[in-house]
Formats: sequence, C-alpha cells, structure tokens
Amino acid sequence: MNLNTFYLAVAGLILAPLLGGLVAGLDRVVTARLQSRMGPPLMQPFFDVGKLMSKVIPPASHWQGMFVRWALIASLASDALLAAGGDVLMCFFVQAASACFVAMGAFSGNSPYSKIGAQRELFQMLAYEPVFLVAILCMAKAAGGFDAFSMMSGSEPLLFKLPLIVPGLLFVVLVKLRKSPFDISASHHMHQEVVRGIYTDYAGRDFALLEIAHWADVTVVLWICSFLWATGPLQMLATALITLFVALVIDNISARLTWRTMLKTVAPISLILAAANLVWLYLE
Amino acid sequence: MFGSFLKKSQIKSPWLMHFDCGSCNGCDIETLACLTPVYDVERFGIINVGNPRHADVLVVTGTVNRRNAVILKNIYDQMPTPKLVIAIGACGCSGGVFREAPNVLGGVDKVIPVDVYVPGCPAKPEAIMDAVVTGLAKLGKILEVA
Repeated sequence: MNLNTFYLAVAGLILAPLLGGLVAGLDRVVTARLQSRMGPPLMQPFFDVGKLMSKVIPPASHWQGMFVRWALIASLASDALLAAGGDVLMCFFVQAASACFVAMGAFSGNSPYSKIGAQRELFQMLAYEPVFLVAILCMAKAAGGFDAFSMMSGSEPLLFKLPLIVPGLLFVVLVKLRKSPFDISASHHMHQEVVRGIYTDYAGRDFALLEIAHWADVTVVLWICSFLWATGPLQMLATALITLFVALVIDNISARLTWRTMLKTVAPISLILAAANLVWLYLE
Repeated sequence: MFGSFLKKSQIKSPWLMHFDCGSCNGCDIETLACLTPVYDVERFGIINVGNPRHADVLVVTGTVNRRNAVILKNIYDQMPTPKLVIAIGACGCSGGVFREAPNVLGGVDKVIPVDVYVPGCPAKPEAIMDAVVTGLAKLGKILEVA
C-alpha cells in the first residue's frame, strides 16, 4: 500500500457519506417533483441527521449503540476499500456485515415491529446477496480482475458483455435504497404495518449514525453499478444517476411486494439471469 | 459551527407524529391534507412519522377522554426531547362541544403540556402549518437561550 492508496481511502471515507447524503436529498426532490410537489431542499437529509444528533433519548437496548457503531464502521470501511481500488468482492462482504449489525441491533430492542423488520432484513439479504455476488463475479470476469481499478480502467463499457446482470443490479439497488417494491424491512413511508420496521427502535444519535451508514452503503452500491459504463468519470457519474433515476421511477409507480414474492420470484429470476451471463462469459 | 448547525437542524427538520385522540376525523383529514401536493409541508422538511421515538412534534386532534389519556401520555413520554405539542381544533384545544360529557377530560392540555393551540372546527391546513412554524419559532428561542 503506497501513500496514494491511503489518500484515496481517506477521501472515500469522507466523501462517500457526503455523496450518499446528496443522493438522499436528490431522491427526495425528484420524488416530490414526480408527485407534482416542490419537495424539501437538497440539503434536507443533512438537517435531518443534524437534528437526530441533537436529540436526547435513552436507547431501547444498551446493545444497540454498539451494533450501530459497528454497522457504521463496516459501511465506511466498504467505501474506503472501494475508493482505494480494493477488492470489490471484499467490499461487498464488509457491506453485508454492516447490514447484519443493523439487524442484530434491531433484534436487541423491545419493539415487535423492530424484530419483524430485522427478520425481513435477513430475508432481503438472503434474496439480494447471491444476485449481487454473481453480478460482481460477472464484472470481474469481464474486466479481468476483482479490484476496483481493473473494473474502472476498461476502454469498452462492461454493459455490452453483461446485459443480463442489469435486472439483478436494479433489484439490489432497489433493496439497498429501501425503495418500493422491495422496501420490505424498513417501510420508508409512514403508517404501514411495521411502522419503521428495522429502524423502529433506533432513535436520536444512534438513528443519525445509521442514516450516515445507509448513505455510505448507497454510494457503494451506485458506484458498483457505475462500473457497467466505466470508460471515464463522467460516464460513471451518468450511469449512477441513470440507475438512481430508474430506481426512483420504479419506487413511485409500484406498490410494495411481500417478502415471499421477493424470495420466490424476483430473487430466483434475477439470479438465473445473472448466472446465465456468467456462464456465457466463461463459454465465450 | 457544528453546534450552530445542530441548532439550525432542529428548526429545519420537524418530524410530526399525528395522534387522533377521539376526533370526528374532520381535523385528521385537514392535518393529512397538509401532505398533499396543494400544501406540501415537506417543503419545510416536515415528515409525518408513525413512530413516537422519531417524532419531534406531537400533533393531537380530538378531545381527551379517560381511556385515551393514558395512551396520549405514553406517546408523549416516548418522544425524544426537545419536543413540541400542537393541539388541533376546538376539541383538542378545550374539549369543544364534548367538554361536558361525563367521559371527557377536556382539551389536550389536561394531560400533557401544549405549546401551540389551533382553533377551528375543523382547523384549516394553513392554520396547522402556521402552528408548526409558530412552534418552531418558540423552540428556536428556547435553543438560543440554552
């Protein structure tokens, strides 16, 4: 590891959550415009986190604070790994650890909604993790290496070699952004049957830290999606923004599915398509 | 600078929790109308949340009676501090036409401290939004003193 890698990792550590916050702000503005509303300012997610930071409330369980901090560390570590050009597969595993910590924190609370949300989070992981894994394997095979720099240094877009992983990646983005129809564990909108699902018991500063961890996760997922057209920084940014916009449109036009449909239908179809793409790459 | 950002954030991000304390639904409909594209309270960073642990402002409609007083107090106690309470409509402010009923305690302030009262039967969405802004100005003054 040279000094350059270290600087890149630090830049990823600081900039990735900020970018994730901007994505969350953009998400709220675009969603509002799609619904003929004006929507909040772009910086609203930062105000929300600032507000949560200054709230005083005892945690639902004394374990929660520890799990939240581990989740934040894991999410930021996945950002730093990706920014430093590390192994994308490792980044994916570290991010999965972060999701596990959030679920464990939710299990340690008292609220039944929190526990249902945590169970659903585990179902979501069961559905999207294999798809994401095969998609990354496809990218690595097409790019010739597992490190992020190999995937970003191609002269040809990977998309033409990997058309069948696009539905799978979109599924992963919808789940990780907690968007309909796969907003199953956290139910972003109010007054649903699980209140805020996995987030119900988190409050105050813990909730703010989880929000920052979520921003970091969103950045990683959109960044990995942008590898599909990584012929230059602008192309990558455009790919990430297009992916985000498609996710927001799907969120606004679809109702929430049940976890059964996700596990029985969506996950197998996405997985089969991605696996077919992988086989095709090996046979080529 | 970070401290002033945190104080500003508390004013710019009020998350509402709406509790129907035995309202006729008139004030509830007007409260939810604030979320529609016509009024769009999300412009001010306001979100309607269903979880008291995430709420900053408790919006209560309807009269308080002997059965729901406990629930109202319970919800109020679960909210993180600092918190605001807004009583909506004639019933929320004073018990309205039901104030003489044997099971009715009266307005919301019989159980929990109320920061802003919104009269009307039902209260207008504009008045409800104005109440939130007034409440936040009150919170801002408290934060400045602190």
